[in-house]
Amino acid sequence: MKHLVRIFAVVLIVAFGLMALAAKLNSSQGYSGSNTLTIYNWGDYIDPDLITRFEQETGITVIYQTFDSNEAMLTKIEQGGTTFDIAVPSDYAIDKMKEENLLLPIDHSKVPNLSKIDPRFLNLDFDPDNQYSVPYFWGTVGIVYNPELTKGIAFNSWNDLWNPELRNNVLLTDGAREIMGVSLNSLGYSLNDTNEDHLQEALRKLEKLSPNVKAIVGDEIKMLLANGEAAAGVVFSGDAAEIMDENDTLDYVVPEEGSNLWFDNMVIPKTAKNLDGAHKFINFMLEPDVAAQNAEYVGYATPNQEALKLLPEDISGDTRFYPPSEVTSHLEVYKNLGKRMLGHYNELFLEFKMHKG
Amino acid sequence: MTDKNRLGKVYLFIVFVVLYAPIFYLMYYSFNSGGNMHGFEGFTLEWYSEVFHDTRLIIIVINTLVIALLSSAIATIIGIVGALAIDRIRRKRVKNTILSLNNVLIVSPDVIIGASFLILFTIAGIRLGFASVLLSHIAFSVPIAVLMILPRLQEMSPTLVDAARDLGASRRDVLMKVILPFISPAILSGFFMALTYSLDDFAVTFFVTGSGYSTLSVEIYSRARAGVSLSINALSTLIFLLTVILVVGYYLVSRSSMRNRKKERAAELGVPE
Repeated sequence: MKHLVRIFAVVLIVAFGLMALAAKLNSSQGYSGSNTLTIYNWGDYIDPDLITRFEQETGITVIYQTFDSNEAMLTKIEQGGTTFDIAVPSDYAIDKMKEENLLLPIDHSKVPNLSKIDPRFLNLDFDPDNQYSVPYFWGTVGIVYNPELTKGIAFNSWNDLWNPELRNNVLLTDGAREIMGVSLNSLGYSLNDTNEDHLQEALRKLEKLSPNVKAIVGDEIKMLLANGEAAAGVVFSGDAAEIMDENDTLDYVVPEEGSNLWFDNMVIPKTAKNLDGAHKFINFMLEPDVAAQNAEYVGYATPNQEALKLLPEDISGDTRFYPPSEVTSHLEVYKNLGKRMLGHYNELFLEFKMHKG
Repeated sequence: MTDKNRLGKVYLFIVFVVLYAPIFYLMYYSFNSGGNMHGFEGFTLEWYSEVFHDTRLIIIVINTLVIALLSSAIATIIGIVGALAIDRIRRKRVKNTILSLNNVLIVSPDVIIGASFLILFTIAGIRLGFASVLLSHIAFSVPIAVLMILPRLQEMSPTLVDAARDLGASRRDVLMKVILPFISPAILSGFFMALTYSLDDFAVTFFVTGSGYSTLSVEIYSRARAGVSLSINALSTLIFLLTVILVVGYYLVSRSSMRNRKKERAAELGVPE
């Protein structure tokens, strides 16, 4: 009995000791106090030094939390119980959050730096007049390929993926909108197409791609491509940058028929407590030098045209990741097709996956 | 050595290789200066220093430990009371029903439990953070503690309690001096089971973390999108070593106390050593 009591006493002492230590670390980092700002962002999607700088400049302490998918973030915010002041969802998720009344409008007078954003990336379909969102990073969907293995295929067109020489050598990202979009684009249709005949045609075309498809995978696609497990893969530009960082023999291209243009934007959820701080943070992230530093750290493309000028030439001049406006003009942002159409896209994609299996 | 015996040893060896190879693989690459797990370039301690400089990560590790220790201690105490109560129930049907309800909680999927907690906490207006994580960890650990303790209680001969009562022990004495010491090994194993469950739980915790409070499993998962850095390998190595030290320490302590107890008992009975 004594033995047990002693063990429990030790456990409690250790636990409280650790709690005190955590509290001390927290206060030394300034994570406690009343003037705080809670930020909900993708994992590893900001330069930590910038948070420190923001805290020093404004005296606001930042609580930083991360998520790994738009859906996970949506669930947390929908349920309430948390007080996020800033979140960074992608385009279609912003549309959804607007529909469900989860966002607060942004006071443009408090975000003067909005003028530094390239007008190409403002006033887009998912948020007209940027009433609720401010661009954070953007990118495309394209093909990463290994020139050593694909011998001469230039991948200027999506149709190159159907080349019989690529048998069992193509990896696809596991996303219904992305892959259906590839097929629709390769047929010359819009990736927001809702015409049933066109969709069926896209599915039949995808089925013809089956012999070339090695696997349809999630985040592992980066590792597999970097290790040369496949000759080509359909990925997001941000992933492509990372893959090419690991293995520089690979190359990335956005096919000329068109592709998806995606955005991750900063928004203020309805649950926000520190509205003033949230606006300050958004404006801070739009400072050219801040945006440039962040873009260099994260590796995605910044929508900030002033920041672009501050970036080293080998980053900003890389047309694979900063395509000129004649390329972006025929890229499309996903429209919110509604629950039913989205379900239909998923169904068609699932049918393709089963066919493949 | 017989053939059968050798076969058994080979089998055991293979099982251990399968169990430990991934861990050693991970530890090996935590010293890789190359920055990824594809090829070993050279020895470095860079990732370890990164772990110690990442205050946020350290706070998260501490959070994880605090939650594990507190929740499993509280859950074990609740579990002891629960097991004693279930053991008291005389009517077999009631007893079986309660036991099945206990077991349903153990086998039901973590995601379901997590989602239900999220809904419960938001309805109750509890802010997601330390309290919500602690409460849900206690909740999923209690059935485990009960399940570990109850069989030991049932194993105990009722005559032991009768004898104690006959010798004039009060109810309190019976509980403190007979029952609890008898079931203490089960209490400890319940505690350690709850501890490990709490340490590595992802699914439930994922739903109930919030407001800047996070545990290691959730943090590593959300970092995975950008590719897990080798500092996570370094951290995992440290945690693995700590666990090994704890297990070895526990083994040594329990062995020496066992020897002491044997000595004591021998002295009490007047048996020369």
